[in-house]
Amino acid sequence: MSHATRRRIGWTVVGTLLLFLAVLLSLALGSRQIPPAQVFDALLHGGTGDNAQVVRALRVPRTVIGVMVGLALAVAGVVMQGITRNPIAEPGILGVSQGAALGVVCAIAFAGVHTPAGYVWFAFAGAGLAAVVAYAVAGSGRGGASPVKLALAGAAMNAFIASVVSAIVTTDARALDEFRFWDVGSIGGRDGEVAAQTWPFLLVGLLLVAVLARGLDALALGDDVARGLGHPVALLRGLGALAATVLTGVAVAVAGPIAFTGLAVPHIARALVGADHRWVLALSALLGPAVILVSDVLGRVVFAPSEVPVAVMTALLGVPFLVALVRRKATVPA
Amino acid sequence: MTQPLERTAPTPAPRRLRPSGYTVARAGDVSFLLHRRACAVAVLLAVVLAVTVVASLCVGESYVSPTEVVRVLLGQPSPDELVVGTLRLPRLVTGLLVGAAFGVSGALIQTVARNSLASPDVIGVTHGAGAATVTAMTFGITSYSVLPYVSVAGGLSAAVFVYVFAWRGGLHATRFVLVGIGVSIALGSLTRLFLTKGDYLVAQQAKVWLTGSLNGRGYDQAAPLALVVAVLVPALLWAAHAQRMVCLDDSTATALGVRLGPVRLGLTGLGVVLASVATGAAGPVDFVALLAPQIAHRLTRTAQIPLLSSALTGASIVLVADLLARRLFSPVELPVGVLTAAVGAPYLMWLIARNRRRR
Repeated sequence: MSHATRRRIGWTVVGTLLLFLAVLLSLALGSRQIPPAQVFDALLHGGTGDNAQVVRALRVPRTVIGVMVGLALAVAGVVMQGITRNPIAEPGILGVSQGAALGVVCAIAFAGVHTPAGYVWFAFAGAGLAAVVAYAVAGSGRGGASPVKLALAGAAMNAFIASVVSAIVTTDARALDEFRFWDVGSIGGRDGEVAAQTWPFLLVGLLLVAVLARGLDALALGDDVARGLGHPVALLRGLGALAATVLTGVAVAVAGPIAFTGLAVPHIARALVGADHRWVLALSALLGPAVILVSDVLGRVVFAPSEVPVAVMTALLGVPFLVALVRRKATVPA
Repeated sequence: MTQPLERTAPTPAPRRLRPSGYTVARAGDVSFLLHRRACAVAVLLAVVLAVTVVASLCVGESYVSPTEVVRVLLGQPSPDELVVGTLRLPRLVTGLLVGAAFGVSGALIQTVARNSLASPDVIGVTHGAGAATVTAMTFGITSYSVLPYVSVAGGLSAAVFVYVFAWRGGLHATRFVLVGIGVSIALGSLTRLFLTKGDYLVAQQAKVWLTGSLNGRGYDQAAPLALVVAVLVPALLWAAHAQRMVCLDDSTATALGVRLGPVRLGLTGLGVVLASVATGAAGPVDFVALLAPQIAHRLTRTAQIPLLSSALTGASIVLVADLLARRLFSPVELPVGVLTAAVGAPYLMWLIARNRRRR
């Protein structure tokens, strides 16, 4: 076994352990601290105390949703950075999450759809539209889609959608009431039913990405080289964008817009296991849920007994990361 | 638009030395070069603004005829004094000042960054002012005599933060904008956090404020803004002059002996203060600071972004947007920031797509 492979396996094992630890923390910590032994008891032997009830009825759904959201966002981030060859591509920054949010608002306000399984389709449509527009805007003109143009197009997209959403909810009080609980980007207080309704979409997105992994490696070498190697570049991009849209749509439909997870996790994974997309995807799939769960646990603990939504925590933790990324020479050639 | 000239300057053949499109205006010992087109545009914009002012005083829950509005404005007795003078005028004055402040602020920052995409909205200033104000509100500071200072402090610290973290052996516009966007997102989250922590009523008030609204704004909010603008007028006259130096490229300026660093810092500081105070008065009214200087600049076609025309354009934009926001879905009133963002964001996208940045 080569040194590189040993290192990759090593980091993947570490990632698995981190995820396991994050799940345990998410089940054990909160406004009520539950010892790990009782957590296991509740899960495996069907304990009956109050603690077991809390774990099974509240914390298990929350943790499952956290894992789903983290998984979807991190993998979507890897795919977006891969197909755009742009270090700053991410669902939140590109405005794709906000697009999905707009879809959900429209579903609530105009179509009378009130279940996640129903509005996940609207989220897909919104996310896809926003992704296409943001990328088309950034990609046109001289110099193609540079990081700063992509980020600016995303910022403009976010501002525009925010104003449309604001116009809809200001004129429709009922929609506001339903929407404001969902808009903060939180994985708490969501029904376990949500996970049951949306996991097939997550699975479809992940399978699509798994098929594309080798193609993403080829794309990293540049369009011409990828074409020379026999990869259908346009098809790869299209399918990649579809997969990223589906994954973002699932994450947003379940938890609301959450920024920066899709940005930070792929970069961390790439720094640890190199550029091979199969390893990057695997490690991101482990680290994404861990980041979401740890942020969520921090949000529960810092202002206990009240909670900080996970989206606020990831944004605060993510900014230093973005700053570090921007200060690197490779991102912004001076 | 205007530039003082030394009278002792050697002028053997003044008519031929004069740059095309300029007229010399003399007043006693001082003479100015006036850009003819810029002057015409400024007059035109002033007329547009005047019409907008009268129109927004006419339209509302009840219609008031323009003649009555003008009578009230001139201080003559009128049956519509209550509606126009007491209800609509304070809001209008606030909108006017806010728009003008955002317009000038955008013009200054875009001049320094030499990038039409850099506006106070993009580089985190308005979000900083917003986060600071909401934080203060949730901690029970709701006095309008304190809040403007809080928002200036917030805007300035956000700008300094972005400046420091974007600095890496020089200030690169790209890095500046990217760090600004990141900081804006984080400050937005922080604002939402404090919204969820605060008292329900305060949160409601802060939420409306955050979208940028003129609803219920009056002289209480306009007074600190007017004060700051009045104090800054001499500084703005200097800025109009200093703008020309900043337009030079770095090596030319250095060769001419102009110290660009302090000038840039001064112009940026002015822009940040103006944007923060305006945000303190009406909340972050998105994209006015981006749009107004661009429109004014396209109209005047001068080398540098015109300050006076930017101010006039900014004021007109805010007043028109507010008029539409009041009447479009009446009786429901939209925050004015919704409308400016709905127009400004596509414009920003168009700018990016065309990619005609002045470097």
